[in-house]
Amino acid sequence: MGSQHFPVYILLSLLATAVIIPIINSESFGKVKALIIATLSIALGLSVRTLQEVYKNGGYTYNFGNWNEKIGVQLVVDEFSAFMGLFIVALSFLIVIYSLKDIEHEIKPQQFTGFYTLVFILLFSMLGMTYTNDLFNMYVFMEILSITSCSIISIKRKKENYMASLRYLILNTMGSLSVLLGIALLYMVSGQLNMTQIYLTISKIWNLYPTNILVAVGFILTGLGIKAAVFPLHVWLPDAHSTAPTPSSALLSSIVVKVYIFSAYKILFKVLGQTIVVGLGIPTYITYFAAIGMIMGSIFAIGQKDIKRMLAYSSVAQIGYIFLGLGLATVEGLSASLFHIISHGLMKSALFLSAGSIIYYKEKRDLRDLDGIGYEMPITMTVFTIAAFGMIGIPGISGFMSKLYLSFAVLGANKPIYLAIILISSFLNAVYYLPIVISAFLKESKNRRNIMAIERLPKLMLVPMVIIAVAVVAIGFYPQIIMTLVEKAVPTFLL
Amino acid sequence: MEFIKAIAEHINYVASVALFVIGLYTVLTHSNLLKKVIGINIMETSIFLFFVSIGYVHDGSAPIINLGGGRVLYINPLPSALILTGIVVAVSITAYSLSLIIKLYEEYGTMDIDEIMKLRGEGKNG
Repeated sequence: MGSQHFPVYILLSLLATAVIIPIINSESFGKVKALIIATLSIALGLSVRTLQEVYKNGGYTYNFGNWNEKIGVQLVVDEFSAFMGLFIVALSFLIVIYSLKDIEHEIKPQQFTGFYTLVFILLFSMLGMTYTNDLFNMYVFMEILSITSCSIISIKRKKENYMASLRYLILNTMGSLSVLLGIALLYMVSGQLNMTQIYLTISKIWNLYPTNILVAVGFILTGLGIKAAVFPLHVWLPDAHSTAPTPSSALLSSIVVKVYIFSAYKILFKVLGQTIVVGLGIPTYITYFAAIGMIMGSIFAIGQKDIKRMLAYSSVAQIGYIFLGLGLATVEGLSASLFHIISHGLMKSALFLSAGSIIYYKEKRDLRDLDGIGYEMPITMTVFTIAAFGMIGIPGISGFMSKLYLSFAVLGANKPIYLAIILISSFLNAVYYLPIVISAFLKESKNRRNIMAIERLPKLMLVPMVIIAVAVVAIGFYPQIIMTLVEKAVPTFLL
Repeated sequence: MEFIKAIAEHINYVASVALFVIGLYTVLTHSNLLKKVIGINIMETSIFLFFVSIGYVHDGSAPIINLGGGRVLYINPLPSALILTGIVVAVSITAYSLSLIIKLYEEYGTMDIDEIMKLRGEGKNG
């Protein structure tokens, strides 16, 4: 009893915490920390319970205030949204624990409470976008998400941050507007805002308005493409992700970008349905952009000297993999893409957190200053190495499994050209990740005194990184843990 | 004649598309950050106009019971209600971007994106 309210409880507890944090006396940061950990633990517990309930009793829809779905707001809690909600909460829990220590180094003490208020509103809107079944509600959550994700960049109060977040904000707003225009066009055709209702209406009448639907999907996908940094629209990402405080970059790169991809799934396969999308030939175009992004993102990353900027460009390439799986519009492609969302989320957060630790400890961001750092920070660099190997696709790490699944999906869809692109992109990944690992462990630092230093990083920062690294390796050896869950989630989109 | 009639009937849509294009042009071509924000506002307004026009019913009255004087046609209130939310969002985004522009002006002494880029380039080389 009452378990159907759990997703709403998660959303409300996150929002309530965001409101309570600024009220607490700002000198007692300990109380804020306790509140943050408590809320996230509650949210994590409720997410696990929701997922269990969904597996036991099947997915359900939740009407807010018992208004029916034609006039009210509806949440859909199914295998997909419950699983992804759990993923978002669990990963952000680890990143937030890391941030409790690291943030002291990044921003002024007066702004700690402001930062966590923003982070909680960010989490609230991400979960809202994952659970919602209403197009306009999706738009509102999207706007909350874009404002908060810009503000956790500009909170660092440096010149570069203002510029990066203004550029992000302008492009984000143009993206949201184009999504809103697409929603208006869909509303014109169907007269509904609920996704299930639109699907029911549109599947009957889509032959009458093919142009209208094509234009609507074009606007929505362009908007989501700007926000998810699909290749030609990625210009904001490197600045935004590299100047942000480390916990923000980890959140932005590993989770926020993915949430827009969830919306793209929903629009393509829940609102329109596979028949219409394939009939209009939309997925083919998505795969073109994805393939260009996979190559170009890696090529741009090779030229970078700043470690966080390089990781940001690498995200552009990895988003290409996810969109390639989406563009195949087959069951295998979609599962590979969902699997890669999770494995990239884990690997990229491990990379950003370990890069942040290097910046925290050594105050160096330049890739050429990392000689011999593996001996000074052995645990951090081991985490970095595991995640970097995962990005390249060394067997035994989750990145390899997602590339394997994606390759099988590509062959299953009879498009072998993309297999070559996956291989080239993997080689390019190796070109920019391996030199860091080699110089960290095999080169001699100029001013190193002792042979082996003990890691002097705070425990609060080490533990989340190690947990993520262990998860990455575990998924690499036992991909079935995630794949069984993904295989249950895919049928909510494709039959 | 048919064509002109069609345009006259859909003048709202034509106007909103024109505004959208004007806004987009302003955002893309002007290097002054303030003008970019104005351009975004024009784009937002155009979409609000478009959305509200969808709900318009010719000769319909405001959807309040017993106010239409016996008329039975009401306009669709849903798009108007949604656009209220949209306006709130637009205002908050404008406020936030203006505050960022003030901060940038304090740091660089200019609001022109080209000059800011030039200053940043000099800072990196010097």
